[in-house]
Amino acid sequence: MKRGIDRRGFLGIGAGAAFVCTIGGKQVVLSEPGDAAKADAAARNVKRPKALAAQAGTGMPAGAPAVASQQFPTPTPAPGGRVREHWIQAVTTDWDIVPKRKDEWHGEKVAGPTKFKAFVYQEMTSGWASPLAPARIPGPVLRAEVGDLLVVHFRNADEELEQAVTMHPHGVRYNPDYDGSFLGDFTRAGGFVGPGESFTYRWEATPDSVGVWPYHDHGPNHTLNTFRGLFGGLIVYPKGAKAPDLERLLFLHVMQPPVTGLKRSFQCINGKAFAGNTPTIQAKVGQDVAIHVMGMDNEFHDFHIHGHRWKDPSGHFVDTPTVGPNETITARFTEDNPGRWLYHCHVFSHQDAGMSGWYDVTP
Amino acid sequence: MQHRLKVAAGITTLALAAPALAGTAVAQQQDYPPPSNPGSVQKKPKGPFKTLEVSKKGKFRTIQAAVNAAKPGDTVKIADGVYKESVQVAGAKHRFIKLVGNVKQPHKVVLEGENKRQNGITVNGADAVTMRGIKARRYKANGFFAVNVTGYAMDRLIAELPGTYGLYAFNAKGGSMTNSLSYYAADGSYYVGQTPEQTRPVQTIIRNVVGWGSVVGYTGTNSRYVTITKSKFFNNALGLAPNSLDSEKFPPDEQNVFRDNDIYWNNFDVYQKAPYKPNVNEDFIYPPGVGAILLSGRDNRFEGNRIYGNWLGGFIGVPNVFLKNPADQPLDRNIVSGNTFNKGGADMNGRDMVYNGSGTGNCFGGNTGVMTTVPAAPEVYPACPNTAKNVENGEPIGLMLSWAVQKQYRAGWIQHPHAAQAGMEPLVDWAEGKSYGPTTLK
Repeated sequence: MKRGIDRRGFLGIGAGAAFVCTIGGKQVVLSEPGDAAKADAAARNVKRPKALAAQAGTGMPAGAPAVASQQFPTPTPAPGGRVREHWIQAVTTDWDIVPKRKDEWHGEKVAGPTKFKAFVYQEMTSGWASPLAPARIPGPVLRAEVGDLLVVHFRNADEELEQAVTMHPHGVRYNPDYDGSFLGDFTRAGGFVGPGESFTYRWEATPDSVGVWPYHDHGPNHTLNTFRGLFGGLIVYPKGAKAPDLERLLFLHVMQPPVTGLKRSFQCINGKAFAGNTPTIQAKVGQDVAIHVMGMDNEFHDFHIHGHRWKDPSGHFVDTPTVGPNETITARFTEDNPGRWLYHCHVFSHQDAGMSGWYDVTP
Repeated sequence: MQHRLKVAAGITTLALAAPALAGTAVAQQQDYPPPSNPGSVQKKPKGPFKTLEVSKKGKFRTIQAAVNAAKPGDTVKIADGVYKESVQVAGAKHRFIKLVGNVKQPHKVVLEGENKRQNGITVNGADAVTMRGIKARRYKANGFFAVNVTGYAMDRLIAELPGTYGLYAFNAKGGSMTNSLSYYAADGSYYVGQTPEQTRPVQTIIRNVVGWGSVVGYTGTNSRYVTITKSKFFNNALGLAPNSLDSEKFPPDEQNVFRDNDIYWNNFDVYQKAPYKPNVNEDFIYPPGVGAILLSGRDNRFEGNRIYGNWLGGFIGVPNVFLKNPADQPLDRNIVSGNTFNKGGADMNGRDMVYNGSGTGNCFGGNTGVMTTVPAAPEVYPACPNTAKNVENGEPIGLMLSWAVQKQYRAGWIQHPHAAQAGMEPLVDWAEGKSYGPTTLK
């Protein structure tokens, strides 16, 4: 018997919209389940930029402005700073958006297929010898203090999608060699890391880097790859600052049928949908809590925690601030209200399609 | 002054000792294809792909005949049996070919060299070729050899008694050697060398391999971007020997990672008695009793390994001062960190670390169980991270002189009893009929 679509399924479909990717100068419309394959095919055919002959910007096309061929010194930590080294690989992995098959908020089953092939950043030991953590959405949290140098050894270890990817950070300082962006003929070495290849990014944590920022793929197929999981967060603390007692990063993003190949959209937090599947945050009364929330899709979201208020950067109390694509807001407060609380996006169609989770506070 | 002279003399011998191993490759180079730049990976074939079956009764009686008939991306499936041939997989028209024997029991698909054929399988200029489930036995040069390629996969292979190397990659960009066994190699069980410098390096991964009974478990001249992990190197003369020489292109060796390996019992005195003639120059030797030796090189990491029961030294770091480019000579920014020495005191190295303080930024942090270093001076072994110039000390060079040139390595052994391990014996003086290591893959 064919089942009708329920209210949340309807909202899920409603939230699933077509989008357009520009891949190597070609526009690809993704509107149906399975359309990701069209984008992947286009990404596979993106030719390696000629300028990649050397990292230092040589080999730029004839007539290129001089600004494109500049050379830059290799960054080092500031005096007193340290090198923070990471080994990260990009891999595809089988990913279940609703592993419990249940929305614990409403106590209802979630029907239908929920698995797809995600593309993620995975933290590894040195030499990419072994995983330090499972392949998952989001990628590892990179932490630094002002003055430190983040040295990220990045490897494109995926063998299925056959396309170049990168790591492009926000917030930190870098010269064009470490931008991690595909720029057509003006691409530098870190902007096109082909299958099997690796590149070491060097990012500086400067005083204006303090904060919480995303990083994501910025290669030829960046939109699709970011939508299917190639993103993570980095945190830069003031020198010597005390970290919060409890610090969590939440990414709000939609998983649409053209990306996942599934029938419906899921409004996700860290790659999962519906309370009980999304992160359950556990706090204690008295803790200094910081929940950093980033948008990682084409939508704006309203982040709401029941039973809690905090100050926005202007000093006003809020409980449902808006966060846009690749923007960060932080809910920081001293916990004083025990109980099981819900957190969710307050865009109604998002909350009902999965963008919700538990916030548990014990006395 | 005398002290300085002694240091210089010792370094000379080290510089000369290492080519002794490379020398065999040079001697046989007329049999080797000349190196060329592997370049970008060749275009992945689209298929449709065929499977070509090799067996004594089938259409293809030899592996070579099937390879010759194979199109890019095809699979050559090899039935159990003994194949007395030397297989060549050459050129882009053979890219992405898969040579697959008996993956569960590789010892049932035997390439037999009879000590008269050069290489079991040579892959030259054909990218991304897979070799899996095959044993190569008694080849004069190498068991499995990939050269001038971007990418190769060697998996579930066995090399027995190769005249030089068991699994061998030269002038290659990236590739993998996994789940394999190589033993009684007259030079190295595994070798990756002359890796071209790359802006976006393709890593070579060596994982879950076993190398025993050889002169060296793993050796690589001017190798870079190699990760060796979860592997065992035991009962060799030396366990690991990454090195830098002018005899090959692209010195020094750099950016290699040796992580989470077992490096033990490397005291095989191959110069006394061995089931093969070791490939060494008569005047200079690699001394038995060494867990890992780093001969020049930079940005290498030895991390999280278990190093025990090696009677000269567990880890040795010394420079090759005769590299033409002085900048390539010192050991720079190498990390020896988080290793466990001496198996909790149950199976001790003669000396845990031997290092002459060459170079800048080398560090030794978080190692556990370290009981003896040469020199004993702690300032020679600074903690990690370290950006300062290291503190030089001549004592290790004097020792290396006596071990490698004067061949007094046995006198240098500080012998400790080994902790027993099921199914194998420590190999020092080889004798027929003993079990020194596995001969099949589980």
